[in-house]
Amino acid sequence: MSNILIILLGTSILYIFAASRIESYVKTLAFQGFALFLLVILDLKEINWINIAFLAIETLVVKAIVIPLFLLRVIRKNEIGREVEPYISQFYSMLIASGIFIFGFVAAFWSAKVGAEVKPLYFGVSIVLIIASLFLIVNRKRIITHILCYMILENGIFLLSLSVANEMPMLVNLGVLLDLFVGIYLFVIFFNKIQEMFDGNHIDILTELKD
Amino acid sequence: MICILLFLPVLLGAVVLLLNNKIVTRTSLLLLPLIYIAVTMLVWSGLNWIILPGWLNVFFRFDSIGILFLGVMSVVFLASSIYSIFYFDEHECSVQQEAVYTVTMFLFVAAMAGVLISTHLALMWVFVEATTLTSALLIYFEKKKSSLEAAWKYIYICSIGITLAFVGIIILSIGSRSFNSLFFSDLYAHASEINPFWLQISFAFILVGFGTKIGVAPIHAWLPDAHSEAPSPVSAMLSGTLLNTAFLGLIRVQGIMIEAHRDSFSNFLLLITGFLSLLISAVFMLQIKNYKRMLAYSSIENMGILFIGIALGKPGIFAAMILLVAHSFSKTSLFLTSGNILNIFKTKKIENIRGLLKKDSFTGWIWIISLLSISGLPPFPAFIAKFLIAKAFFIAGLGWLAIPFFILLAIILYGMGGAVFKMSFDDNEIEITETVHLTYHAYLGQILMLILLIAIGTNLPETVLSILKSAASFIY
Repeated sequence: MSNILIILLGTSILYIFAASRIESYVKTLAFQGFALFLLVILDLKEINWINIAFLAIETLVVKAIVIPLFLLRVIRKNEIGREVEPYISQFYSMLIASGIFIFGFVAAFWSAKVGAEVKPLYFGVSIVLIIASLFLIVNRKRIITHILCYMILENGIFLLSLSVANEMPMLVNLGVLLDLFVGIYLFVIFFNKIQEMFDGNHIDILTELKD
Repeated sequence: MICILLFLPVLLGAVVLLLNNKIVTRTSLLLLPLIYIAVTMLVWSGLNWIILPGWLNVFFRFDSIGILFLGVMSVVFLASSIYSIFYFDEHECSVQQEAVYTVTMFLFVAAMAGVLISTHLALMWVFVEATTLTSALLIYFEKKKSSLEAAWKYIYICSIGITLAFVGIIILSIGSRSFNSLFFSDLYAHASEINPFWLQISFAFILVGFGTKIGVAPIHAWLPDAHSEAPSPVSAMLSGTLLNTAFLGLIRVQGIMIEAHRDSFSNFLLLITGFLSLLISAVFMLQIKNYKRMLAYSSIENMGILFIGIALGKPGIFAAMILLVAHSFSKTSLFLTSGNILNIFKTKKIENIRGLLKKDSFTGWIWIISLLSISGLPPFPAFIAKFLIAKAFFIAGLGWLAIPFFILLAIILYGMGGAVFKMSFDDNEIEITETVHLTYHAYLGQILMLILLIAIGTNLPETVLSILKSAASFIY
């Protein structure tokens, strides 16, 4: 079951590479949050119950519901639901995505072979998520997609931490969640301000400062 | 003590917000740094009450290097607070704005204090990210187009960078499965059990992550923008304390590398980034047009030297500690003075500023003396630091590296000195009729910094020396 979820998480990245509407990014985010929630529940036997309750609430409430809804509202309010506008064409992006997947699988096989103490499939897919989101950040013009890809990056890191199954202290989990929350909130505030002041939402318009 | 550092700023901030009164706001803005200085002194003299519950208390501890950083932070915070009063008056900030500034500054300082006293690697990461979030609001304080752009670049680049550092932390926890803990004390004690492969990858990630925050090349893109667009007292805090704070994080991780005997790997990376920072800084310094950006590039330079310092082993780290103090104090003085210049001439362009000494001789002299201090001329402590680093090159058997090191430093000094002297002296073409007098708040902070610098440089007091020495002995 958890393997299927991991594969679905991997496929969601391919979907994002192919998707051309920004709203489908948000839906993918919500899906990823939900998949992570199920993964946490399925790992039940490995972690103690306070941590698992916390992680379950974090993934289900924050990652699958609150943040996607919040971002969806921002997108609808600003009427920017259309194109994602990449720098590199869709076809070449897909080629690069395949390359990232190959790298992820090699990493997964390698980690299984050398007996690293990680779950190989989790490890490989989380690396795919991290690298792919970094690539998407570089390859998208709109600021809102940068915020969305930052969330995908966070999901990738969450999956990576699940692959290790080392539990962090509660205080750290709380702090990480708080940082994520405030971070997204501030991103959106600045995003709205940029729309107001610069009259546009492309990263290319930020050219006030240079040497 | 830990309660005071972490919770008092939050409490005081709540009071400031609730009362929304000019006098309360300004008093607490000046009071908090004084309390911080008092706490630092008390902790250094051995007094430390603990009122936290035990499970929380294991996450925070004062150690010798943390106290040094805390002391530097508190003093810089005091100077910046004094200057903030002048800034409020000059910009005619509303009571509301002053309160928001003060509260954000308090949260920023509390987050930095959290980084300095955390005993857990991931908790330290949480606080480093918190410093990014709080200071972004301060950078955007003037609500201009350019400051918005700077704030966006800052918060986004640093968040991504810091996220990569978290990848490094998770990778480190893969390598340390045998003891399954990320407390620094455990990591140091069991360093030899950590799988070297994962340790090295993790160090690379953490170097990129914290390096982004420290502002070393090639991941320094946010630094000149943020430092030049923030209000001057905030620039002083960013350069004088925030960079140090992230640097402490890196030193602690470097400590693990040393304990695990993998320091040849980390030293190599640190040397490369250090020299690259010097190079980038030298290249930009030669054609610099904006004096606040000039100071920002100088920060990149000094962070590069700090990297080189800790890469050179035991003698280098002592030099790095001296340089850290010297850089923080001199740069604070420079940034605060740049606020005066901005106030007098209303421009950040070097070419539009001439005859600063005639216009306001006090600002002019502070500007020049601070330049002498940052560039490492005797009697300022940066001189001792750079001298010791040159020595450390030879002790480490890398004497030939001292040549490019000093060439790059000379280029940077040439660029910076040229700009500063042009701004201060060159007044042949223009007629300066009126002189400007600013209130004493505009000078007090800088004078405090320069007095401290001269005191440390000419006659290193025994206490300061022992703080520096015990801080330097932290990782070796």
